[in-house]
Amino acid sequence: MAPVSTHTPTLQKLLKSLRDQDLETSIEGLIFLLKRRQVRGDQCANATAHILLQVVAKSKWQSVDRLLELVTSAGSRLVQAAPHEPVIGNIVRRVLGLIRDEASEDRNADELSESVSDLQSLAPVAPPPTSAPARPGPTPITRSLTMPAAGLQVSKSMFNLLSVVDTLDSYSTGASTPVSLAQNNSVHALKSEIIDGIGEIIDEVNQADDQIAGFADIHIYPGDYILAVLPSPAVERYLIKAASRRRFTVLVASPHSQGSGAEQYSALRKKLTSAGVKMISLSTTGLMAYMPKVSKVIFGAKAVFQNGGMLVDSGCCLAARAAQEYSKPVIVLCGVYKFCPQDTATHISWTQLENPSSYVGYDDGETVDTIDIENTLAEYLPPEFVDVYVTNLGPQTQDHLGSIMADHYKPEEMSVQLGA
Amino acid sequence: GRRPSFAAEKDARSFIPECFSHIPMAKRVQTSHAHKDVHPAVLAAGQQMATFAIKDSISRLEATLLAFKKVIESYDTPKDTSLSRHFVPHVLNPQIEYLTECRPMCFSMGNAIRLLKAQVNTFDINTPEDEAKEGLLESIDLFIRERINLAGYLIARNASQLVDEDDVVLTYGRHRLVEKTLLRAKENGKNFSVSIIDDPYDKGGLQLAEILQQAGIPISYSPNLGGLGTKVEEATTVLLGGEAIFASGFLQGAAGTADVAIAATKAGTKVIALCETINFDRERISLDALTYNEIDPERNSPESFRLLFDNTPVKYISGVITEFESGTGFSPAQAI
Repeated sequence: MAPVSTHTPTLQKLLKSLRDQDLETSIEGLIFLLKRRQVRGDQCANATAHILLQVVAKSKWQSVDRLLELVTSAGSRLVQAAPHEPVIGNIVRRVLGLIRDEASEDRNADELSESVSDLQSLAPVAPPPTSAPARPGPTPITRSLTMPAAGLQVSKSMFNLLSVVDTLDSYSTGASTPVSLAQNNSVHALKSEIIDGIGEIIDEVNQADDQIAGFADIHIYPGDYILAVLPSPAVERYLIKAASRRRFTVLVASPHSQGSGAEQYSALRKKLTSAGVKMISLSTTGLMAYMPKVSKVIFGAKAVFQNGGMLVDSGCCLAARAAQEYSKPVIVLCGVYKFCPQDTATHISWTQLENPSSYVGYDDGETVDTIDIENTLAEYLPPEFVDVYVTNLGPQTQDHLGSIMADHYKPEEMSVQLGA
Repeated sequence: GRRPSFAAEKDARSFIPECFSHIPMAKRVQTSHAHKDVHPAVLAAGQQMATFAIKDSISRLEATLLAFKKVIESYDTPKDTSLSRHFVPHVLNPQIEYLTECRPMCFSMGNAIRLLKAQVNTFDINTPEDEAKEGLLESIDLFIRERINLAGYLIARNASQLVDEDDVVLTYGRHRLVEKTLLRAKENGKNFSVSIIDDPYDKGGLQLAEILQQAGIPISYSPNLGGLGTKVEEATTVLLGGEAIFASGFLQGAAGTADVAIAATKAGTKVIALCETINFDRERISLDALTYNEIDPERNSPESFRLLFDNTPVKYISGVITEFESGTGFSPAQAI
């Protein structure tokens, strides 16, 4: 860990200053932290949601399409800053979905039923959408509708009015488009609804670990030997919660550390020990040796993909393979916000490397020069290694992940391309 | 006095979690506390083993045998007894006890000592002492030549023939036989690359990387087992060195060896184990890595715990190369 001086920007500082500084500075601030990996893992979700909230609150927008565009563009920049953190994309998609939902609710409330049917009857006239999935229902906010076909209809509803305006004027002049007071009020109402919605996403992210911990006593029994691999904050909370109800032993596997002084998980040890649960510290090397004694393996996922495959710290793959060899159950903890609607990832594309200088010193010039050194930080774990996914919505099997994804992301968001 | 060391020993073991408390651990025995009959050469060897200055099974075996030669050379049979009756219980056994106290014996040492004792038993009561000593010294020399030096040479020769042009050979840590094999294959004119996965505690793999790199072999080095799944897929062959093979065919290797073998087998890459036959234990059967193992005395504190070895089940080893098999010396682990 690099020493954090008072001058270095941190996530806490950034979040505190969001209110006062302009939007661009905030976005750049987070991009900077993401690139330097000072914001990583679980923090990314929270940070992204906060920045997108600022985008909604501070940027000038008069149409939903414009807002979607602004959020997509800010989101893409964050995703590009940290392509190794898939949760950023998740949050962006969740916010896009939220905006669409709120907009369509708004419209449904305002609109007379005939204009809805008008709109629907119009749909076939419009050129068939090329990429947007054909979905019945009141949310056809696709480009194809707003382009040539939209010109035919001048509806009184705020949403359609704005889309028309949108297509007539270029985006950059959107702000100067004259809007009536009533429309302004609707925009205000929509804005505050969206901001509330983002607040709910932030709450969901912040509460996920606690909610997951609520399910701790289901899968941990008295007398268990639980192998916790590189315990994430969620795993720590889960173990501590379980320790308040059960007597078991925790084997914590963490990577080799240079100095044998301060222990990485000393706080966890203290809490477990005070609850009467023994903790044994192991390294992530050679986990096969301990597996006969282990009754269950637990770790947190950085992301869960649609097929149930995961992005995990590299030591977790090792543990999962060893657990499978001994038919020991593998429990993965992951908040629903970590579910990635993207297509099945391949392991190569998600393998992340890290600076190997803690293993090979740069003073060893010849070695550093001539030998190809790779230190893997995170990698892809296929779904067949996992028995249960414990989410903030409760324990799930692999078969169930698809329906959770569908509940949280609509096809529109799943197909959004963020980043490069 | 004896007390402090006894207390210290008790203390060291008190950190061991109860579920692993059956597993032995090396410990530093102060030379002043050793049995008075322990020969200085054995004392030195014991210290080197306790501090892991000599650590792999073959180096330990060789150090033991060389020290025993000194013991035999300086041995004088007391009056009214004979070497065949007196040497083992009164001279050899205290040496063995001391060595075991320093660090649990490895299986090759056990095998060699059994052979040595059998050799002593072949002597008649009337065998002259000089003749008996000469016989023992000669057989130890022969043993070192055949079972250690020749075995290493033959295994490297056999295994190097399995390395083909453009192969990517993956190995774990630094094992003497793997090192010999790869250097030999390079001498044979093969062009291949080596992917080394290291044990971050041992860092032997880094030394191996430097040695092989100097021999002109392209190296890719991973300081830990991260990314193993991808690396075994990219490899064409996995070469693993063993410290022992049990009657069940399980391979005892440096902790992490089994993880590599399993990942490789799952990726469809062949796994070849290299092991001298002196390391084979035909009597012991290990169920898993917790049957026969050792606790790392350097990593035995409330904050850390580590076992030195793991066991690779037979099904994850495509073949074992030893010095004795005919042809390539390639055979299934159970067959040995």
